[in-house]
Amino acid sequence: MAWENIKLAFKSMFTNKLRTLLSLLGIVIGVMSVVTILTLGNSASGSISDAIATGGTDLITIYTNGSSSTFTEEFADTLRRNIEGIEAVAPMNSQTARVRYKDTVTSYTVNGVQASWADLMKYNVSQGEWFTTEDNLSRRQVVVLGSEVAKKLFPGGDAVGNYVSVFRTQAKRYLVVGVMEAKDATLSVSFNNAVFMPYNTMKLRLGGSSRVGSYIVKVFENHDSTTVSDSIRDYLDNLVGSDNYTIFSASTLTSIANEITGTFTTFLAAIAGISLLVGGIGIMNIMLVSVAERTREIGIRKALGASPKVIRGQFITEAIALTMLGGLLGILLGTFISKAVTNLAGWSFKISIPAYALSVGFSMVIGVFFGWYPAKKAAKLDPIDALNYE
Amino acid sequence: MVPVIELENVSRYYIVGDFVVKALDQVSLQIQKGEFTAIMGPSGSGKSTLMNMVGCLDTPTSGRILIDGADINGLSEEDLAYIRNKKIGFVFQQFNLLPKLNALENVMTPLLYTGDVGVAERKLRAQEALEKVGLKDRMKHRPNELSGGQKQRVAIARALVTQPSLILADEPTGALDTKTGIQIMDLFKELNNEGHTIVIVTHNDEIGTSCPRLVRIRDGKIEENS
Repeated sequence: MAWENIKLAFKSMFTNKLRTLLSLLGIVIGVMSVVTILTLGNSASGSISDAIATGGTDLITIYTNGSSSTFTEEFADTLRRNIEGIEAVAPMNSQTARVRYKDTVTSYTVNGVQASWADLMKYNVSQGEWFTTEDNLSRRQVVVLGSEVAKKLFPGGDAVGNYVSVFRTQAKRYLVVGVMEAKDATLSVSFNNAVFMPYNTMKLRLGGSSRVGSYIVKVFENHDSTTVSDSIRDYLDNLVGSDNYTIFSASTLTSIANEITGTFTTFLAAIAGISLLVGGIGIMNIMLVSVAERTREIGIRKALGASPKVIRGQFITEAIALTMLGGLLGILLGTFISKAVTNLAGWSFKISIPAYALSVGFSMVIGVFFGWYPAKKAAKLDPIDALNYE
Repeated sequence: MVPVIELENVSRYYIVGDFVVKALDQVSLQIQKGEFTAIMGPSGSGKSTLMNMVGCLDTPTSGRILIDGADINGLSEEDLAYIRNKKIGFVFQQFNLLPKLNALENVMTPLLYTGDVGVAERKLRAQEALEKVGLKDRMKHRPNELSGGQKQRVAIARALVTQPSLILADEPTGALDTKTGIQIMDLFKELNNEGHTIVIVTHNDEIGTSCPRLVRIRDGKIEENS
């Protein structure tokens, strides 16, 4: 019976091709929008996660504030020993300072870091060399320039071996030993527009407070950085209180970003869902027309022994077949559009299976919901009246 | 023997505005198995109402209708549909074939509603019924590709296919020319000779008097019952 109803439904859909197409349009557009939005949301959040991950999901940054005397250079080691899962901790100080070469003077962030820092950040030089532990211990006046800094100060590309002046209260000359490769900013550092110098050199020459500005924590590969960052949080809350530091990790940032895109996507999909509702009303309209047109057919079928239940089943099946066809067309179109958009935006294309399931399910629900009333109307027709209907 | 159809004091009233129209008034009638009966009457006599009662398309205001001995009073729409499907084969003046289906599919349709006949058997039985009415070579034709006489033969095959207790024909020759009408009546006679119970509702005297049994109805009452 069900199979016969499906055949009947398609037969009646194909007899009125244009009308079927027009009445489907609402559902097609609705499903298309939902699928496009969910797929794009999925792809965008994937791309955001990827972007954050390039900064290193195994890195956690702790920014210190307040005047706690706990945050010394040695505290880096204390932290590593006290919390499980930490491979290394690198202290870092940042200041803004003017940097000059010949007539060009610009303000840059100057980062004082240890020699191990570049490896930790997976950050490589493109020219010259990164400074050494010896440079740090001897507080040598050497700097490594970010790619944009080098470009600005040395348009000729001859930075390595030249001297730049860094101003704080007074100008000092620093030997450029290396230029870094271009690298996207991560959550803690802007790379390309920064100048890097040995930690101890910076402390001596540029001064500032004895408090370490921030610590970059590297988590062991086999440990979850969210868990480690939670442990650090617990540890620091006990030690200095939650007001005196801020902690950031790629994984927490990823989850925040996902939450935001998720909320946004849901919101948009809900709006698109409204067009599905409108599409459903279109289906109801066309089903009512169909029932009216086929009154005589309904009468004949009833005379031949079709029970009200069977008639109802026939029309509901037809409504579901209509909406499902619309749903499938919408999925095809939506997938096609999101594929095109992700290609244009350069995001990785990620199919959203829940979007497909949701669309198909929702189409079916709309078919049942909006097909119910017309089908009931058909089922309740009086066979004598229906047979005499012209 | 239990009659195929038995009406006991059946009345059917319609309320039109402030009036009560007695379409059928205390009608009693029995139709035995194997009979070939014509119900005749002018328009407005109540014969259509009587046919609707006999065909289980309508239920009486009062009185009892028994089909194969079973009272249909108080049955639900679902049950009446079941009885129509199993017990009654309808033939209409306007043929009432389903236009989108071909002859074979039209004849298969009632078996679909029987619910327990597989598609292969439906096809086989429909083919047999179409052969019986002489349309073996027209099975794949749609109604609009058939002549009036052929359409009525398809309709008769559709009425036969469920092997009903009663074939109920409403003016079956009304939309046909005289010659074709005679052929259709011959087909009914042939079916009757094979044992089918047939009731024809008509206002045509010639058709009515050609049937072995004649029931005349006027103003909602039976006037003559041979």
